[in-house]
Amino acid sequence: MTERADSDASSPIAPVPAKPKVLRGLALAWLLIVALLLSHNAYLWLVQRVSPDTDILALLPSSRHDDVMQQAFAHMVDSAQQKVVVLVGERDWDKAMQAASAYEAVIGKQPSLLQPMAGDAAQLQGAWLSTFNQSRLMLLTQEQRDKLHKDSPQQWSQLALSAMYGAFGGPKLGAWQDDPFGLFSGWVQARAQETPVRPRDGRLFVESGGRSYVLLLLNLQQSAFSISAQEHVIPLLDRATQAAKQSAPDVEIITAGVILHAAAGSRQASSEMTTIGAGSLIGIVLLMWLTFRSLKPIALIALSIAIGCLGALSVSWLLFGRLHLLTLVFGASLVGIAQDYAIYFLCARLGTDRHMDSRQLLRRLLPGLGLMLLAAVIGYLGMALTPFPGLRQMAVFSVLGLLFAWLTVILWFPALIHADSLRSTGLADRYSHSIGKWPQFRFNRIGVVLLAVFAVFVVAGLMRLKVSDDIRALQKTPQHLIDDQIKLGKLLDTPTPAQFYLVRGDSAEIVLQREEQLKRHLQTAIDKKLISGVQAISNWVPSRQQQQADHDLVADKLLAPQGALAAIATAIDENEQWQQDLRQRLLAQSKPLLPDAFIASPAGQPWRHLWLGKTGGQSATQYASIVAVRGLSDYRQLQVLADVAPGISGVQWVDKVADISSVLSYYRQYMTWALLAAYATIFMLLSLRYRRAAWRAIAPPLLATLATLALFGVIGQPLQLFHVLACLLLLGLGVDYGIFLQEPTKRHRRFAWLTVGLSAISALLSFGLLALSSSPPLHAFGLTMLIGMALVWLTSPCFAGSKPPTYDTN
Amino acid sequence: MIFTLRTFHKILGALAVTAAFSATAITTANAAAPVAQIQAALAKPALMCGRFDQTKQLTGIKKPLLSNGRFCVASGKGILWQTLQPFPSTLRITRNAIVQMQNGRVAMRLDAQQEPVVKMINNVLFSLLAGDLSQLDKLFELDGTIKNGNWHVALKAREPGLAKAIGDIQLDGGAYVNKVTMQEASGDHTDIVFSGIQTGDKAMTPEEGAMFD
Repeated sequence: MTERADSDASSPIAPVPAKPKVLRGLALAWLLIVALLLSHNAYLWLVQRVSPDTDILALLPSSRHDDVMQQAFAHMVDSAQQKVVVLVGERDWDKAMQAASAYEAVIGKQPSLLQPMAGDAAQLQGAWLSTFNQSRLMLLTQEQRDKLHKDSPQQWSQLALSAMYGAFGGPKLGAWQDDPFGLFSGWVQARAQETPVRPRDGRLFVESGGRSYVLLLLNLQQSAFSISAQEHVIPLLDRATQAAKQSAPDVEIITAGVILHAAAGSRQASSEMTTIGAGSLIGIVLLMWLTFRSLKPIALIALSIAIGCLGALSVSWLLFGRLHLLTLVFGASLVGIAQDYAIYFLCARLGTDRHMDSRQLLRRLLPGLGLMLLAAVIGYLGMALTPFPGLRQMAVFSVLGLLFAWLTVILWFPALIHADSLRSTGLADRYSHSIGKWPQFRFNRIGVVLLAVFAVFVVAGLMRLKVSDDIRALQKTPQHLIDDQIKLGKLLDTPTPAQFYLVRGDSAEIVLQREEQLKRHLQTAIDKKLISGVQAISNWVPSRQQQQADHDLVADKLLAPQGALAAIATAIDENEQWQQDLRQRLLAQSKPLLPDAFIASPAGQPWRHLWLGKTGGQSATQYASIVAVRGLSDYRQLQVLADVAPGISGVQWVDKVADISSVLSYYRQYMTWALLAAYATIFMLLSLRYRRAAWRAIAPPLLATLATLALFGVIGQPLQLFHVLACLLLLGLGVDYGIFLQEPTKRHRRFAWLTVGLSAISALLSFGLLALSSSPPLHAFGLTMLIGMALVWLTSPCFAGSKPPTYDTN
Repeated sequence: MIFTLRTFHKILGALAVTAAFSATAITTANAAAPVAQIQAALAKPALMCGRFDQTKQLTGIKKPLLSNGRFCVASGKGILWQTLQPFPSTLRITRNAIVQMQNGRVAMRLDAQQEPVVKMINNVLFSLLAGDLSQLDKLFELDGTIKNGNWHVALKAREPGLAKAIGDIQLDGGAYVNKVTMQEASGDHTDIVFSGIQTGDKAMTPEEGAMFD
């Protein structure tokens, strides 16, 4: 049932003649721009086949820390990014090998996706040892050093003799005469202790808990963040696992790799985007149908939002060169505010005398529409000014989207919508009339008591509100992936990639010396079993200073005329010449080992991620390296490790998790201030137009925000950045409602209420539904919107004022 | 068969060294027919002890290094290798550790917990002592001949890195291994001859038995 006779006695304001030619020209120009946007989007998605970033780290500022630190972190991450590590474990080693072969057979069919890391073992080993051969005399373990200092040359000669005679003298590499005291072999043995992985039967082997594991190292051939690579690699790994399980039913497969996490993230995001997105779309279409019984308004609202999104995508892509998936998810939602412009126009049309031309109506609505856009842009300004790339992208994306949608409404709607394009429905009428029965807030006794009760609730709630900025709370990884990761880390004794020491110095030598100093300081932590050890380049390449000291120690204790070598010569009845020759032979192995040479050699390959080498610009040469911590048993003890760093110059503790969390905390605080500033600015802006009634427009979002936050305090939901972001959106939408209800529509206040209702329900559908998301940031955002939006909607008529505003447009 | 002591410790070294890189997959070949016969010819006592005489020729040293002593192999317990001449030294290999004693003090110790290969050496050693050459077959290419119960086996490590580290190994024997010969690429050469092998509970002295506890 339609009702169009709800006319006010006062006639519409005398229309100022519009200039149809200019308007038509602008509308045509806009058509051209929209065509351009459309083709640019088609080019981006269909020709270039761009895909958005899914890496959460891309959301973090790149320049908040010094370059070397960023480089160090990227270095650690990159070295892991393209790898997939698989452990195939069985109680029986033969079965484990069988299962591993079955696994590899499946992987081997797709060499363009994954390739096993392999090499010619013989050649590798030869090259491996030759890296150190010329420097044998320069390399000692700490234990050997201690023994050389403590034990007499006689004890050393006895040890060497028993090794010569005995069936076994410890691990031995090469001919006796190249390592008569077994020092080099001992050193290599100590190096091998840095990993529990051993070759066995031509495979890599680890043992734990009665199971023998085959270690498979696979190289990802495409980017771990490429969605198409994820779509192919994950099923391939699943098939390989199936094949392995078929060949040995009890086999345990542990898989780890950045791609697994990336895939889980994008899979979750895309499936939620489909379900939540579809749900909200259907809801909104249904809502509009019930209100207008026509598809045209729906098409028009969709058109304005679609153009907003297309424009935002195109221009943001041109500005940033890339977009993050989260920008798309959030940005596209934020552009949803744009529905307000369209709904506002539609409802105003519905409530306006049919004699008034749509162009004249636009003129009347323009101040309000302008104010709405301005308020939204101000709301996002705070976000755009942060150095947080994710926030900046979202803000720019949203502002662009709103602007494009706004322009669409301004330039096209007057031409597309005429007085008879719209009919109201009974449901819409009943709803719109309900505003008359809404209670009004007044500063009388009841009002003050209500205010006091509310104030007590808010203060009590806010006092209980906790904050949480833990990055781990932001990325919800499937539990089995985390379990696998932890298990693998334990089995392989790998270092944590997120916490390490960054060592810097003016030369490679100084860096190595500082590493050695650091390692001495860390010995206590190792003795206390807080960590099992460290990975450092200086484990392999000691500083020149240390190498020289080791060389001198060996030469003095073992090779000197009265040393251990002389005692051996006597025992096996060799002469002075023999001693001379052997001494010369050993002393020839005194070429200092240098980090760059080591890194370039096959032996250095696995440790490349630790050596940053020369860093910084050409002006300031600096060298840097990473000392990684292995077998960290208790993350609550991180502070102990952090406390070691300040004692040594050039050494810095890097804890990326804590670091990111502190960045999040910083931005949560920053955004809170931005929110307050936005309230203040928008309030001033509204005061310019509504004078003393401005508080009525700002009260609904303000009270709703306070109530929502207080509620979070009561139910114990800790506040994080994404709640604050949602509060910003609450302000943007809530102020719109204030503007609708304050704008002088005179006869048609109830159509303003219809506008609010339509907008609020669509916002609840499009943002509130995000509360269903299992992604923690989206959930936090959605929940805030759900509660806040409902409150804004239901309280906004209470502040609309008891009688229709008397403000005049002219 | 105690040849494996030194050999396997060298394998240990080599294995440790290769730990950092991956190796190519190797298809396990079936043991050659004579190897199966040799396996059948070997006695598999639970406990045996005997004398060893070892001759080592090291490159760069004129005279060969001669040594001798006693050895014991107790399946399920471990291996004891006591050098008596020219000076005493004891090596004990058990499931969880390899320990070298000299002048009453520990000169060297490798724990399985610390060095995973210790367990592997142990397993391979015991499978060998049980006459299970098929276990060795995984690490070595075996080439054997047998005639009138006397046999000869040449072992060549399948893994090139290992081959380089330990060289060629030859075994001669009958019911037991009689002689082990090792020739390394570096030129170092070792012969170990076993004699006076006793089996049964009385083969091991109480002192030796105590060393396992």
